[in-house]
Amino acid sequence: MNLKKIYKYGSPPNFYRFAMKLEPWCLSLGLFLIAIGSIGGLFVAPKDYQMGDAFRIIYFHVPSAYLSMSAYAAMGIASIIGIVWRSNVAFAVAKSIAPFGALMTAVALITGMLWGKPMWGTAWVWDARLTSEFILLLLYFGYITLHATIKEQKKADRAASLLAILGIINLPIIHYSVVWWNTLHQASTISKLDSPSIVGEMLWPLLLMIIGYMIFFIGVICRGGSAEVLMREKRSNWVKEV
Amino acid sequence: MNIYFQLFSREISVAFKRWTDALTGFILFFLIAILFPLISDSNKEFLLTIVGPIMMFSAFFASMLSMQNMFKPDFQNGTIEQLMLSKGSFVSLILTKTIAYWLFTSLPLILISGLTASIYFVSASGILIIQLTLVLSTLTMVHINAFTAAITLGIRYPGALMTLIITPITLPILIFGSKTIENSILGADISGPLYFLTGMMMLSFFLGPWITASALKISMD
Repeated sequence: MNLKKIYKYGSPPNFYRFAMKLEPWCLSLGLFLIAIGSIGGLFVAPKDYQMGDAFRIIYFHVPSAYLSMSAYAAMGIASIIGIVWRSNVAFAVAKSIAPFGALMTAVALITGMLWGKPMWGTAWVWDARLTSEFILLLLYFGYITLHATIKEQKKADRAASLLAILGIINLPIIHYSVVWWNTLHQASTISKLDSPSIVGEMLWPLLLMIIGYMIFFIGVICRGGSAEVLMREKRSNWVKEV
Repeated sequence: MNIYFQLFSREISVAFKRWTDALTGFILFFLIAILFPLISDSNKEFLLTIVGPIMMFSAFFASMLSMQNMFKPDFQNGTIEQLMLSKGSFVSLILTKTIAYWLFTSLPLILISGLTASIYFVSASGILIIQLTLVLSTLTMVHINAFTAAITLGIRYPGALMTLIITPITLPILIFGSKTIENSILGADISGPLYFLTGMMMLSFFLGPWITASALKISMD
């Protein structure tokens, strides 16, 4: 019975109206949280006793790394929905996620390199997380290139979605196969819920940043997805009314 | 006569007529393996440490070389369309085609790998392990190649795109394949990576034909 409510958003005009309503809220709230988090992280949080001020790059590194993975998961889910229900909206959303996800992956890699240079002495090591992040970037590029190379819109959608689904199946396998190397990367800072290895003053800006990035991401998807839907439906009547 | 058997014998006879496809991969595989000791250090310890990666690497490249022609000729002359319309299950027909393709392009590599491994001073039992690893990994790779060839079918110059798609997906097989060979040469336990390779092979047999068939259907319409 609830499925009907979800089906409603599968129709392009409904999705467009919903996304346009959601978008300004998400973008502004996301930016607000990111701003607070940045101020908190860059000025309020105390220095790390080992790393000094250099640790502050965590406030940009960790949220983008989180988002690079969850964006791929979102893209895969949208692709599955698109393939199963032949939903044009889902394809549009998946397509608009890809460049943003690739950007986040690149940001995570670059900030990681900047952080690694003073801390580990080198910008790049063949470490599990770095390598799987890099592979993730390749997967994004594969999706974007495949979508761009096929001329026909519908064919491109379905082919690229198939690739995204295969990537979803393969991503955990790639990750665990890469873990076979001994890993230099520090373990996750906030996954240990019972005894966090980070003090509260350092933690709250980080959490704010992660939540802010997520909400901002939803806003970006609303914007990109609705623009994509408009492009695809430019001949239909409801677009002319908008 | 059974339709799958018919397709199989047809694939084999067509493959014999296009024998240059298989030969290029074969020559590449052999040449990479021979060139490495020539252009780098050729002492025994060093060669034994790199034989695993070299074997996987050359098998990967050899399988990539010929895969553009996996579906392309049949796509152009309409065979794939006929297979889609035929009374057999399309997924099983694709599986038949993939296995025939594997027999023709990868089995020669596995046979010659005994010779190339002995260039690297691998012992007789080690050669058997290498061949077993290559059987498992090429059987997985052939499905990945089939999917990639199918999904890039409508594109005019798919070379770079194919590499971009195929590399991340094949990476785990390369890692675990060379891990198996390395462990067997060091005398360590090989069951872990070998189980993983077998698992990947089963997974690819289960998913591969199905996902390749849907990719072909997408390229068709």
